[in-house]
Order: sequence, then structure tokens, then C-alpha cells
Amino acid sequence: MMPQAGAHTGESRAALPALAAGLALLGIGLLFAMVIIAALPAFLDHGAGSVFTWSWRPYRGEFGILAMLSGSVILSVSALLLAWPLALALCFWIITSPRSPFLVPVRGCLRLMTAVPTVVYGFAAVFLITPLVRAGLGGSGFCWLAAALVLTLLVLPTMALIMEAGLAPRLSALCPGGLAVGLDRMELLWFFVLPLSRKTLLAAALLGLGRAFGDTLVPLMLAGNAPQIPAGPGDSLRTLTAHMALVTANEVGGAAYNSLFAAGALLLAVTALTSLMLRRIQAALDTGAEQQ
Amino acid sequence: MNAVSLENVSVSFFDRPILQAVNALFPAGRISVLVGRSGSGKTTLLRTVNRLNEEFPGCRTSGTITIDCGGGPCNIYARPNEGGLSLPELRRRVGMLFQTPNCFPVSVYRNIAMPLALTAGVNANDIPDKAREALAAVGLWEELKDRLDMPAERLSGGQQQRLCLARLLALNPSILLLDEPTASLDVHAARQIEDLLLDLAPRYTVIMVSHGLRQARHMADQILICEKGRLTGIIEDPARLDEEHLAERIYASDATDADASTRV
Amino acid sequence: MTRPLCFRLITAIAPLTAALLPACLLGLLAFLVFKGLPTLGMELFFGDTPPVAALLGRQPVWDGLWPACAGSLCLVGLTLGLSLFPGVGCGIFLAEYAPPRLKSLAGAAVDMLAGTPSIVMGLFGFTLILFLRHTFMPGATTCLLLAAGCLALLVLPVLIVGTREALEAVPQNLILTAASLGLTKNQRIRHVQLPAAAPGIWSGVILALGRAAEDTAVIMLTGVVANAGLPAGIGAKFEALPFSIFYTAAQYQSPEELQRAFGAALVLLLLAGGLILAARFFENRYRRRWQGSAA
Repeated sequence: MMPQAGAHTGESRAALPALAAGLALLGIGLLFAMVIIAALPAFLDHGAGSVFTWSWRPYRGEFGILAMLSGSVILSVSALLLAWPLALALCFWIITSPRSPFLVPVRGCLRLMTAVPTVVYGFAAVFLITPLVRAGLGGSGFCWLAAALVLTLLVLPTMALIMEAGLAPRLSALCPGGLAVGLDRMELLWFFVLPLSRKTLLAAALLGLGRAFGDTLVPLMLAGNAPQIPAGPGDSLRTLTAHMALVTANEVGGAAYNSLFAAGALLLAVTALTSLMLRRIQAALDTGAEQQ
Repeated sequence: MNAVSLENVSVSFFDRPILQAVNALFPAGRISVLVGRSGSGKTTLLRTVNRLNEEFPGCRTSGTITIDCGGGPCNIYARPNEGGLSLPELRRRVGMLFQTPNCFPVSVYRNIAMPLALTAGVNANDIPDKAREALAAVGLWEELKDRLDMPAERLSGGQQQRLCLARLLALNPSILLLDEPTASLDVHAARQIEDLLLDLAPRYTVIMVSHGLRQARHMADQILICEKGRLTGIIEDPARLDEEHLAERIYASDATDADASTRV
Repeated sequence: MTRPLCFRLITAIAPLTAALLPACLLGLLAFLVFKGLPTLGMELFFGDTPPVAALLGRQPVWDGLWPACAGSLCLVGLTLGLSLFPGVGCGIFLAEYAPPRLKSLAGAAVDMLAGTPSIVMGLFGFTLILFLRHTFMPGATTCLLLAAGCLALLVLPVLIVGTREALEAVPQNLILTAASLGLTKNQRIRHVQLPAAAPGIWSGVILALGRAAEDTAVIMLTGVVANAGLPAGIGAKFEALPFSIFYTAAQYQSPEELQRAFGAALVLLLLAGGLILAARFFENRYRRRWQGSAA
């Protein structure tokens, strides 16, 4: 006879929030649908102008974007390989130096750096990094290495902050007892916290990868944009993102646009996958079940 | 007259029983104190009266709960069109004070004015008067009359709890549910709240959860003993017993339990 | 206990990274200040045009940042206008009203949107215009409104997640208290939970503002140009501060133009830093006002 919980609170009408949620989800759905549908012709066409070839020579009817795809992968992975250990080291320092007078300014800098516009990074690097790279490796200085260095700087603060948020509580849980045993914070962190924190470290890596893979301005301004596979860090490369910016700026339509849509859909696929993996990891972290 | 009566009331959360077939009568204008160990279902019992358990997921309540606010008994689950009360109306008449003072993160004044406007539907012109009366009733008016704009969070713990009480009283309830109202306060503030409640008690029906034997003895007209989701005993007029005897009565069943387990 | 090489390595470089990062930030700042500070002044924004005339739109500005600033301002304002309702509303819906299954599905969609590169948002707008051109609106072209719409998508997750987390962080006790006073669910959300969550929601809005102001990739595909003057309307092309920095870095003709780009980069950087401070400021002010109003 008595109602169960839930049905009782009466008019929990939510017309406005529901409408807002509908709008937001409609926008997201539209974005995904539009980008995928636009790319379909490019994915289905395996003829002479197919996008799944290695050479990009629009004037000869060759519209391959595989070089750009590998450019994106090479650049983002190399930036990640640089940034991940550095972020870990930085996170180690932040966690293990609770009494350092530099702790507050360093953390302030980190937070500020997450807000620096990428175009500002790119712009400053054109004048600061490329001359150095040019001096070191020769060439124009607009190359893989220059872009990778700046991307590293771009993703590092976020990754370090994520790692800190994950590792710090675990260390402080261990601390009083662990310090009493005679280990210092660094050792506790390395031997006991780190092996239990794989998911946090992976989450930081995925987040950094997603950001590095999707960034447009840094590669566009610094990587040189030659549609080729780079042979070394001094060579120019072109990413999918930079390719999209270049095609919309320079071409007026036709088959070149196919490569634009295909590049967009590839980007979307990779980043959506990354987001979903990240979501699963974070859900596991939230339930507190960090398995080894 | 009984202001609240529970008949065969059981409550479970996700099929885990918390209260089992509880029968209890709470006389009007008196203070009834629920005692028992933590986990014995005191708070859940308290929350059946204003149907607050239903705010938690997986809650299932059965049995009959009637309240009488002077206009004859009324089943709290009856629909408004069957002579019952709407949920906001029920909760306005059955006010609740929590263990920790839960002031809204707004000014002292708005803490009182907001519920008045929202649940009691008080005319905007009457709100300042009602607020002043309520603050005066808990002895806060003189302390705070010049600082009504101050965020409530800046008050001391005892002041916050009195503000919460004022917020309740402003809604003109007839039954007060107090869930260990002094547990988070220092001794002095706790005394102040106790005296205040004793002062107010004749005008209200009070059901209170308490951990302190001293407090229970000092305040109660009747003590109800909760144990493992059941009511296992009632002590009328506990002030006639001294604390030792009271403790004996209350924990008697525990002792037999302990004996039983050691014997096995 | 043996200490592996990796451990010794990371122990050694940890303080170095802690010194390196702030050094990079300071280096960037010093470089931009050194190059850009001398240009800061009325002339940077308005060139040879009298500032008042330029502000009122009476005279065009050819060699100043004012049109780009005005374009960015319109863009950010329009973006916020378009995204505030769906963003905050959706956050409220997900935190308070959505059934669990919808909550996790919508949460996944929002997470995917959050991870989507900004240039894909730009591509969406670009494709939309192509589609419109081939169907109902042959005259459709990329413009301010389109760019703002795509930027709205970009900042949507920031608003949704910010609102949702702020609401979910409101203590359960407070909600229970409101319920015990007889407030209905809608009243509780409107009068207790939203005010309690306001600072968190505000900081989400400010973050969204910052992202809309600094993003370049979206607008590159949706109608930004280097020389449009003041934005003529929501259907017109426009200039924007981040794009003018990018454009100048690639195409500058004269040292003066480059100087201006340094000034623009400094302005944008200060804006980004200023927004973080503004977030704090608004948070505090809002809280004071909300808590302070008697009667």
C-alpha cells in the first residue's frame, strides 16, 4: 500500500534542463553524424583519387593522406614519449617535496601553463625554438623535433597534474607508517605507490596523447608541413590536423575536400576511442579498484 | 493524546531490513528519547515520521504511521485528496533538526526566509516579522539582529544549530524530530540547546535521538530503547531513576546477549 | 633493497623538471614581454586612427589590433550566449534528473566531445555550410554565427562537466535538510543546490570563456579572415586575435606587422592569465552577493 521511494517527491518536472540536455546531445549527435557522413564517399572510393595512398600531389590527382596519418602518429607519440617521463618526474618532485619553498610557485606555474593559448606557444616557438633546431640539425628548423618539443611543453602540465591527483592521496595514506620504517617519500612512491597506480599513469598518457594528436596550431606552425614520412627529427612532416587547415585555406573543392573529410573522420575516430578508454579507466579509478 | 503512532512499521534498504515491525506511541506535548547503539535503527525510525528515508535509494517502508497535529489523526501516506497531507506540508508540520548544523550557504536571514516563502507560502510582507520571532525564540535575535546579512557559515557551531532550530520553528511545526542535536557541539553550546529545547517542549511533540544517558535522563518524559531494528523497551519518567539504574535498564538486554554468547 | 637505474634516474631529474617548467614559462613570458611590451599602447590597438572614432566604428582601423579584438569579443560573447543554456542545463539534467542509464550514455557522449580536437568542430561547421549550399541556401557562407556555433560545441563539455561536478559536490546533508524543510526537488535544486554549486559553475563558465577566446583551429575553418575590419554582423566574416597572431607569424610583410603580432601574443597571454584571476574574482563576488542579500 505504501509507495516506494522515488515516486514520492512529486512534481520533479525538469522541462528546461531536459530541453537543454536534448539540445546539447543533439549538437553532439549532429557533429558526429555530419563528420562521418561527409567522410563516407572518401572511404568508399578506392579509385585513382583514393585517400588511402601515400602520395599527396593534388595537381596530379593523387590525394593520399596516409603520410599525414603517420605524421600525426609519429609526432604525438614522440611528444608523449618525451612528456610522460618528465611529467612523472615532475609529479614525483611535487609529491615528495612537501616543505619546499618552491612548491607553491611551481604548482602555480603548472596551472598557469594549462591556460597558455596554443597559438602563443606556436608563435613564440617560431622565434625561440626553430633557430636553435636550425643551428643544431640544419635545414629550416621547421621540423618534427621543433613541433615535438613544443607539444611536449603543451601536454606536460596537464599530465603532471593528473598524476599528482592520483598518486598523492595514496602516498599520504602510506606516509606515517612508511616513514617510520625508514624509507623516504621517494622510495615509498617508487616501490609501493607506483606499482598500484598503473591506471592513473595510463590515464595521464591517454589524455596527453589525445591532446597531442588533436592539436592543430603547433604542428601547423612548426612542423614544416611537407606531406612525407620524416626520415629523422630534422625532417619536415605534416599532421592530419595541419593538413585540414591547409586544405581549407588553399583548395577550392573537389577531390581535395575528400581528403579533408577523411582526415576529420580519422581524427574523430582516434580521439573518440581515446576518450572512451579514458572513461573506462576513470570509472575503474572512481570505484577505487585499481587492480595490479 | 498521541501525536505520532507507528503500527507495525518496517523499513528496508535494498531488501536489507533496518526496522522490523516497530510499534510505538509518542504522546503530544512530551519529549520522547530514542536510545540504543549506533546501527540500531534510531535515526531510521525518526526519519519514517517525515518520510525522509525515501530520499535514499532502495528504501521500502511498510506499516501505518499516523500523526495528529490537533486536527485528528492522519495517515501520513494518505493522498491530499483523501484527507492526507502533501509531502511538503507533512515536512513543514514535522520539523527535523540534524546532528550537524546544516545551514544553507546563504545569509542568516535568507536561511529563515527562503523556506518560509517556499514551503509555508508566507506572504512576502510577513516574512521579516516571522523571521524575527523565530530568531527571538531561539535567543539569536539580540545577538544577530545587526548582522542578518552575514553568511550563516560564519556563525559558531552552537549559533548555527540554533539558527537551524529557528528555521524549523518559523515554519510553525507541531512535531519536532531531533537527531542527536547536540552531538557535534561543545559542552556549553550543548547545554544551551538542551535548555532551549526544554523551554520549548510543552508547545511541541518532541522525538529525539540521543547518545548521552545524562541528556536522555535530563530531558525525556519517556525513553524508548532501540535494538537491532526493534523497540525493546520503554522507560516512563526516567528522571526518577539515577543514571546507574538507567544504564542497567537500557543495557540489560545487551548483557544477557553477551552472557548468552559467552555461554555458547 | 636494490635501487634500479630507473629510480636513480627519476630521482635525479625530478628537481630538474621542477626547475625546467617554470623556466620555460618565464622564458616565454620574458620573450613576449621583451618583444611585445614596447608596442603596448593605444597605437597597438588603433594604429593611426583616433581611438574614440575607432571604438565608435566611425573610422576603420587598418594597422591596429582593434578589429581583431572586437571580433574576438563578439565571438566569445556569441559563443557564450549559444552555449550557456544547453551547457549548464545539461549539467543540471545529468546531475539531478537523468535516469542512470541515460546518465552514463550522455556522460560518454560528453566525454567524447571533450576529447574531440577543435579542428574537427571547425570541420563540422565547414561541412554544414557546404551542405546548406547544396540544399536550401545556395548563398550560405562561413560567418561569425557559424564560428560561434562551433565554438559553442567546443566549450559545451567544459560547461556540462563543470556544472555537473559542482552540483554533485554539494553535501548530501544540505540536500536532506532542504528536503526535511519540505522543499520539493525543483525548489531544492533552484534555491539550495544551485546557489551552493554556483562558484563551481562560475569557474566552469570562465574556463569556457578562455577556451573560446584562445581557440584558433575552429575559426580557421568557419570564417575568420585577416582583414575584415569590425564585424559587420553575425552573417559576416570577422577577424580574431588568435588568428591574427597565427596569420602574422606566417605572412608578415614588415617588421611593424611582426611587432604588432608580438603585442597581440602578449595581449592574448595576459588575457588567458587574467581570466584565471577573473574566475577567482567573480567567484568571490558572486558568493558575497548571493549570501549577503537580506530581504
